[in-house]
Amino acid sequence: MILDSGILQFIPKGAYYEGKDEQFANVKDTWDRLLAYDRVLFALLTLLNGSGFSKGMISHMLLSNPIDNGTGTDLIPAGLDDEFEKNVIMYNLHKIASEDSMPRAIKNLLILAGSDSNAKRVNNSKTRKIILEFIFNRDNRELDALAVNYKSKLAKLVRHAVGKQDIYKILNNNKKLFTKLIGRYNRHALPVVLFLFNHGGLQKDKVQGYFPLIDAYLDLKQASIMGNPTAFKRIMKKLPWRTVIGFRNTYKLDIDKAEILGTSKMSDKDKMQTQTAQKRAGAKTVRKVNYERQDIYDLWKLLYNKVLNNDASELDKIREAIDTNHEKIEKMEFEDVAIVIDFSHSMRGSKERPLHPILTALSLLSCFNFKTIHTVGGKDAIVENTPYGATVPSGSSPLWRGLIDAVLSNAKTIVVISDGYENAVSGMFNHVYQHFKESGHVFDLLEINPVYSADAKGGTARSLVEGGTPLPVTNYKHLETEFIFRKMLDHTEMVKHLLLSRYQKLIGGR
Amino acid sequence: MTSILDSLNFINRLKMGEVQSDHEMTVVPLIGELRSNIAPPESLEFTRTTSYGSMEFKNTSREEPAIIPANMMVRGKAAQDHAMSGSGVVLAASDRLFDNACCVESSQGGHFHGQAVETDVLPVDLRKALLPVSARNKREFGKLWPSIKTWLRKFKNFSTVSRAHLRDFFDDKDYKEALEDFAAAFEPVDGQIGALILFNGVPVGLEIMPSAQHWEAYWKWLIRGCYGSQLIQLRESGDLERSTLVLPNISNDTPAEEVKNIMEQFVHNIRMSMAPMLEQIQISKATEVDSIGNITTQLLTTEGGGGGDLITQNNEPVYLSIVL
Repeated sequence: MILDSGILQFIPKGAYYEGKDEQFANVKDTWDRLLAYDRVLFALLTLLNGSGFSKGMISHMLLSNPIDNGTGTDLIPAGLDDEFEKNVIMYNLHKIASEDSMPRAIKNLLILAGSDSNAKRVNNSKTRKIILEFIFNRDNRELDALAVNYKSKLAKLVRHAVGKQDIYKILNNNKKLFTKLIGRYNRHALPVVLFLFNHGGLQKDKVQGYFPLIDAYLDLKQASIMGNPTAFKRIMKKLPWRTVIGFRNTYKLDIDKAEILGTSKMSDKDKMQTQTAQKRAGAKTVRKVNYERQDIYDLWKLLYNKVLNNDASELDKIREAIDTNHEKIEKMEFEDVAIVIDFSHSMRGSKERPLHPILTALSLLSCFNFKTIHTVGGKDAIVENTPYGATVPSGSSPLWRGLIDAVLSNAKTIVVISDGYENAVSGMFNHVYQHFKESGHVFDLLEINPVYSADAKGGTARSLVEGGTPLPVTNYKHLETEFIFRKMLDHTEMVKHLLLSRYQKLIGGR
Repeated sequence: MTSILDSLNFINRLKMGEVQSDHEMTVVPLIGELRSNIAPPESLEFTRTTSYGSMEFKNTSREEPAIIPANMMVRGKAAQDHAMSGSGVVLAASDRLFDNACCVESSQGGHFHGQAVETDVLPVDLRKALLPVSARNKREFGKLWPSIKTWLRKFKNFSTVSRAHLRDFFDDKDYKEALEDFAAAFEPVDGQIGALILFNGVPVGLEIMPSAQHWEAYWKWLIRGCYGSQLIQLRESGDLERSTLVLPNISNDTPAEEVKNIMEQFVHNIRMSMAPMLEQIQISKATEVDSIGNITTQLLTTEGGGGGDLITQNNEPVYLSIVL
């Protein structure tokens, strides 16, 4: 079994050359084999950085394949108790949610409820506890926001975890059952349950004070039903923009979309992602964003989006923020680094995730103290009448040229960021590389591949050199994960020990 | 007998891009601008099969006619897969039915009526089977079945196949992966509108589209479905030796600057050696097969049994697709 961290970073969005189904079948096969090989290691690895989707599917596999308590041998050698996997799964859910991706955390729970992806629903006590604990074990302010933002999804999850009959009983005032199943996590949560299931018995006056957003939601709904735009506009400022747009569209209210996008509640990330929509809707200026607090990948994405749409607004601020964030990101300790970036056509990525490979490559630049950068392929896109532009992936991939230029720069480490496909001419990169190695040029080659490949000869990424083992990195933040993976199969026990000691407090055991 | 360069003045207006090569296949990008008034590729939609052997297309452009790439093939679920017998032209803002199309999945019933389809261009040998004007114009939906069986039987997995299901090849997991590898090995370059395709240094096809946008849309169908599939078949049947370009020897004491010169020279030489290949393509016959609006389609026959379609708009060439 050849493993690399690609199995933790997988997102089913396809690549330029491969569909998502082909990729998923391949990665699922590797997950199955790893689960059979060492269940504890399989679970522990999810503590490392990885994609929310991979972690969700791995959690599903663990929960739908209960631990064999007949022998208990799965966990005893590692000194772990029965709760360890649950703790790992909960840790991952909260980590995903805290990294500004609550929708992904909710989706991972929906996978367990059989409502997302093709995975079968899992209905056991551990799964039910995980769902309810994640939703309700939080303070009222958080629960309030969660309920309003994800109302229908939470209803599906609670129905799955509690069961139809017991939900009916709780909605009909069975307080003992409420306390046993939900109140143990948050004793004030009954109005939230009533809200999720649109229960007519919900008394607004009881909600007020505890859950102000739910209150506002109900007021907005009332204003929508009554067709009262004045009240609607007053209340919408308190609520998330998606909820407000939803009511406006459902009740066909004559309210300017630009006004909603301009005044309703929105995270900085949403403000960035809706800039084009804000302009299209007629907003004269886009909402202010603190760009320097944003992730560098999101900033690159916004920059490309603007350049490709010939939109110069805020580009100076975005470029400044990229520079600032580039300085802030911790650098890998390599000496005299030259970076070769593949800007060929295939680095455009898939339709589902356009430009992802090149955006990842550009973000990865910030992980290194580099002396020189050598781009191969690409063409310039310029915003009309401005000095701003970006290099867009285009053309063939004579990566050998970049390698020679990097060698000429006397670099000690040459980092090549490419999807591993070479055509001008195939094999020339390897030919040139072997020549330099055999003729005494001293440098280390570090291949980083931002594209998952189902047909890689080993692991999950294609290499440009014979016997090469590229680092599969689909998110620049996951570079460290891959370095740990490198040691894994040869030193399984060492890696387990490392992860156990690093997360001892979290996962329990001795 | 005339050289294709003489008979098609537009080829002279194109220049060759950097040669791309992977194992036995070489693709020489042709770069230029034809200034045609042809609808963009997204305006063309395959809409349905109305009966066996008929394919209907819609052109949503309000101003320009659309071109259907020669021998375009559609495959989908619960319907007989079909392929065009040649290229096609659909006038602006209209539908057109081609009733000389071929079924390429002999024992499957059903018609397409809007469901999702996978699209490719027929493999080289099957395109050649449709080159005679009589074969192209024949309204007989099973006309390609004998050729499909012959083509499939050259694969070990299908050596005893009795049905003409081209999708048996395209759906096969291993072949599918190999086809994707072909697509992966080649990339469109800036301004590319066509390509000369070679197997082991011998030209097997010449494709020129109305614009770079068209090439961008259709190149995968050609490289995968038409040339990639043919190359896999030739490899497996032993009709083509496995080979790859021999890269230049570089002695260990060569300075890095000189390595660059050696490799650049190597790439330049390959490109230069490709230019005369175009002159060797000789047209022996041209037959008009369709004329609609300001567009005429001619079926060209080349020396050695090849040929394909040349489309002209107001007597200016805008599309060429020939297999050799």
